[in-house]
Amino acid sequence: MNLMVASLLAVDPLLDTDKWWWKVLAIVAAKVLAIFVIGLIGTMLMVWFERKIVSGMQNRIGPNKAGPFGILQTLADGMKLFFKEDLLPDKADKWVFRVAPFLAFVPAFLLWSVIPLGGDFTDGKDGTVTWFGETTRVQLIDPPVGILIVLALSSIGVYGIMLAGWASGSKYPLLGSVRATAQMISYEAALGLSLGAVLLMSGTLSTSGIVGGQDGIGNWNIVATGFIPFVIFMIAMTAELSRPPFDLVEAEQELVGGFNTEYSSIRFGLFFLAEFMNVITMSAIIVTLFLGGPQPLTLGGVDMLGFAGPFGGTLWVILKTLAFLYTYVWFRATLPRLRYDQLMDFGWKLLIPAALGWFLVLAALQMTRDKYDGLGPVLLAAALGVAVLFVAYLLFNAALVVSKRNREREGVAY
Amino acid sequence: MGQYLPLVVLMILATAFGGLSFAASRLLAPRRPSAAKQAPYECGIVPSRQPPDRFPVSFYIVAMLFIMFDIEIIFIYPYAVERATVGEFGFWAVVVFSVIFFLTFVYEVARGGLEWGPLHGYRSLEQDAAMVSAARDSSSTIRRVGLEGRVDRVTAGGANTEEAA
Repeated sequence: MNLMVASLLAVDPLLDTDKWWWKVLAIVAAKVLAIFVIGLIGTMLMVWFERKIVSGMQNRIGPNKAGPFGILQTLADGMKLFFKEDLLPDKADKWVFRVAPFLAFVPAFLLWSVIPLGGDFTDGKDGTVTWFGETTRVQLIDPPVGILIVLALSSIGVYGIMLAGWASGSKYPLLGSVRATAQMISYEAALGLSLGAVLLMSGTLSTSGIVGGQDGIGNWNIVATGFIPFVIFMIAMTAELSRPPFDLVEAEQELVGGFNTEYSSIRFGLFFLAEFMNVITMSAIIVTLFLGGPQPLTLGGVDMLGFAGPFGGTLWVILKTLAFLYTYVWFRATLPRLRYDQLMDFGWKLLIPAALGWFLVLAALQMTRDKYDGLGPVLLAAALGVAVLFVAYLLFNAALVVSKRNREREGVAY
Repeated sequence: MGQYLPLVVLMILATAFGGLSFAASRLLAPRRPSAAKQAPYECGIVPSRQPPDRFPVSFYIVAMLFIMFDIEIIFIYPYAVERATVGEFGFWAVVVFSVIFFLTFVYEVARGGLEWGPLHGYRSLEQDAAMVSAARDSSSTIRRVGLEGRVDRVTAGGANTEEAA
């Protein structure tokens, strides 16, 4: 690999070398192992965290037998699953049935690789750390297409759910998986469009680049993109994870258990693991995109937690991610499930047009800011943008009215 | 491609973890299959009908619309990243594409392509509220018939007054 191509492709300085010797390989191996262990233990704690918080909100005690405060409950449940009979239904497509848990589980793991889990980004530093004389980042890989890897992996995760339901050869899993597929691809469009606003501000797809651009709370993308993309992203993410109130995939009153009805033993365990691991990784991705990842919250130029450096960055990532994990659990304990038509209307008729419109207004503002000096042209562009959005809103509303009128002409079904 | 080596290693490790879990489950778990266990699960009822082959057309429309929106996303990401390079021309290109795209979406919505399920009839909320009012109790909503000549305490509804006395 010649030098120019290497600098185009590679970002992590550790891997940007032709000298592949034991030290580099050892650091890579240590990182992979660390991510693997953090992933599994984090998921275990997340399940416990969720059960404990929900039980608190519902005036129950929750798990309290296995280990202190019931913290080992998930481990006990997981071990129990190994001893359960593993059924392969008669009508199942045997091969796809076996592969589907991997399609859900492996992408969930791989999502960890592009999340910046620490590093010192304060005062314009680029977030690299030096371990054993090698300069590297506190994330597994840092390719120039970082965010695209996230989108690709979350799309592959949809296949896991879709094929699991299809391969079961049973009614309810099939219905659940068709619903799940429609829901996930719908909200993926909203997710992708709101992500566009972040890329507009950051100008890069690399996750460490996105974090590096968010120095100071005014530059955090949650503020810089004007809050709306954050809200859309957060809602779309909840639907992508099929967490309440968007858990129609496994609405047990209508669909038994949804796509994983026919799964038992550790095959079910892998789906469960993937689901909860996705909650953690997606929260960390929201933190990376909108809340500056390892960037500290400063008070008068001083880190509010008091200690800077790579471990300060890790601490900030954990704190911010925990805030989102708590919010997801809070959603689950608070919000009732949506009806299916409400879910689709909400995604297609509100989130997606709003995300697209907001992106275009932001693009217009940025373009004006690049081209002209001063506040006047920017304000003019903002006014024009709002006017165009209003016209678009009227047009869309007219479409909704026409559609409703046509339906009423057909008459009420019941 | 050295940059992606750790990703490949993690993928192998995750797949190996899944495979080993299956192997462990195979060794540890009992295996007593029976016809009832292997039948499709329908809450204990013997399945009488095959799972549906055909689905409402709305699902296919959603899939096609998703591809359209994916094209829009593919179109705006390069612009968002390379905004400084493509400048004003790039912006207007995105706007023109988005306007055409939005108009087709409006047409799709107006044709009812994104309507789900049958139309629900109007339900009066006042009537619902009256159904749960405190004035309604077992003495006002249950019409007691055939009580002539009966002294049975429960059915005659006189139990409470007798006990209070």
